[in-house]
Amino acid sequence: MKFIRKQLDKMKPSFEKGGKLSSFHSMFDAIETLFFVPKKTAQSGIHVHDSKDSKRLMIIVVLAMVPALLFGMWNTGYQHFLSINETADFWTMFWYGFLKVLPIIIVSYGVGLGLEIVFAQLRGHDVKEGFFVSGMLIPLIVPVNAPLWMVAVATAFAVVIGVEAFGGAGMNILNPALTARAFLFFAYPSHMSGDAVWIAEKADAFSGATPLAEAAAGNSLPSALDMFYGFIPGSIGETSTLAILIGAAILIYTGVGSWKIMLSVALGGLAMGYIFNAFAANQFMEIPAHYHLLMGGFAFGAIFMATDPVSAAQTNKGKWIYGFLIGFIAVLIRVLNPAYPEGMMLAILLLNVFAPLIDHYVVQGNIKRRLKRVKVKA
Amino acid sequence: MENLVNIFVKSIFIDNMVFAYFLGMCSYLAVSKTVKTSVGLGLAVVFVLGITVPVDYLLHNFVLREGALAWLSPKFAEVDLSFLSFIMFIAIIASMVQLVEMIVEKFAPALYSSLGIFLPLIAVNCAILGGSLFMQERDYNSIAEATSFGLGSGLGFFLAIIGIAAIREKIRYSDIPAPLRGLGITFIITGLMGLAFMSFMGIKI
Repeated sequence: MKFIRKQLDKMKPSFEKGGKLSSFHSMFDAIETLFFVPKKTAQSGIHVHDSKDSKRLMIIVVLAMVPALLFGMWNTGYQHFLSINETADFWTMFWYGFLKVLPIIIVSYGVGLGLEIVFAQLRGHDVKEGFFVSGMLIPLIVPVNAPLWMVAVATAFAVVIGVEAFGGAGMNILNPALTARAFLFFAYPSHMSGDAVWIAEKADAFSGATPLAEAAAGNSLPSALDMFYGFIPGSIGETSTLAILIGAAILIYTGVGSWKIMLSVALGGLAMGYIFNAFAANQFMEIPAHYHLLMGGFAFGAIFMATDPVSAAQTNKGKWIYGFLIGFIAVLIRVLNPAYPEGMMLAILLLNVFAPLIDHYVVQGNIKRRLKRVKVKA
Repeated sequence: MENLVNIFVKSIFIDNMVFAYFLGMCSYLAVSKTVKTSVGLGLAVVFVLGITVPVDYLLHNFVLREGALAWLSPKFAEVDLSFLSFIMFIAIIASMVQLVEMIVEKFAPALYSSLGIFLPLIAVNCAILGGSLFMQERDYNSIAEATSFGLGSGLGFFLAIIGIAAIREKIRYSDIPAPLRGLGITFIITGLMGLAFMSFMGIKI
């Protein structure tokens, strides 16, 4: 650590105003604050000083995603060897998946951070840390067979249109990772759904459909336990509910993710699931409600994407409404819309759009209530 | 009854006037600066669509369409006045908007002044003429269906305009690149909202 500090101190003058490399100041700043808590303090107003700055918060979210990532790497190998009917030991499978997943992560971070730095230089603001999380989320929610250039295009779309057009991280209205996923989904549907994309180099005869696709087709499902542990085809990070719950525990313990949203999403999903169970007009509707929480991206979306503090509802009451509607609509789209088996992504995007409206009415409601209290006294 | 609910839900979410057809954009973009005024305009659109679509339905079925005049006398069975539908629909819409304008001016003068020119301009709002023309094209079977379609489309517009108004209130202090400020970012938001609304496309109820 001391060595790094020394090196940074040595380099610092050339990046400061008037220095040789002053135009790359924001890049230097980004690297420095990555290692050390910055000394800069706010210039105006009253602020609470705390070691939890947004870079630290983002890192916690990334750490919370690590279990899902590691499991995803292993599962990639596991599904591959299962499909070609070979057995392999644990490390072979993990190594296979690691080599498949790593390039996606590199592309996502490379393109995203590259654009972030370019925009920071052009617009003269600091490199914002928002992309730490999005850069990790994007690899986790694409199918393992997604071509790298598609990942690059989608990341660029999400960063430029979804975030930078709004003034950078923290001001976006939609979750950037989901914007990238939705872009991929609508632009290249054949690479994002169907049976062929979920398993790397799969043998043709093996059905690689996700449980959601099986459910839509009316086929039998894997057991709930398999889906809970995640031995199923799917996007890289979404399959194992167990690994995601470990991440959820980290987020809730550190107070980074809102448990209100996570809980209300699950409640919303269960509610819609039970409503469908009551009607039971077709086979998909008869699936036990709790299966919906285990299938597809439901758990992953609820824990890591619905809770995004920027695009979620900000008020406490708003969070309950926002979460509940996400779960509710996700299951609704899944069951009723044969074209889009993955309702979670679209449900979160939709509620991202309406989160400001929910907040607006919650705040107005509070104002009205308080005004009434004042009037009664006077 | 089930049929009516289907048409109603479908016209709110799946065939949303703004996000599926991009109709009514002018007032949608211009009046969506604050939630309060956009609620006013949205309600006016719901009201106008809810009245004009059924009235135009009657007009279409008993006056304009081929053979519609047969109820007058069998001599008119071959008369086809549908070339008049544009001008007749617009006349109905304009008179309804006049009515709304008078009501708003009387009961909500503050809203009346904040809506300004956009209130009378509802008359040429393409979402409203679009509502009547879609009704004609889709050939609804009864006046009840036409009414539920009109109200549903209006609510869809209402939802869209208050949604974007809340977003625009939220991003008022964002550091948006100067060339995109104002209308530019509003177009981008509309596109992204359309992306989110695509989730409903293809739903079969």
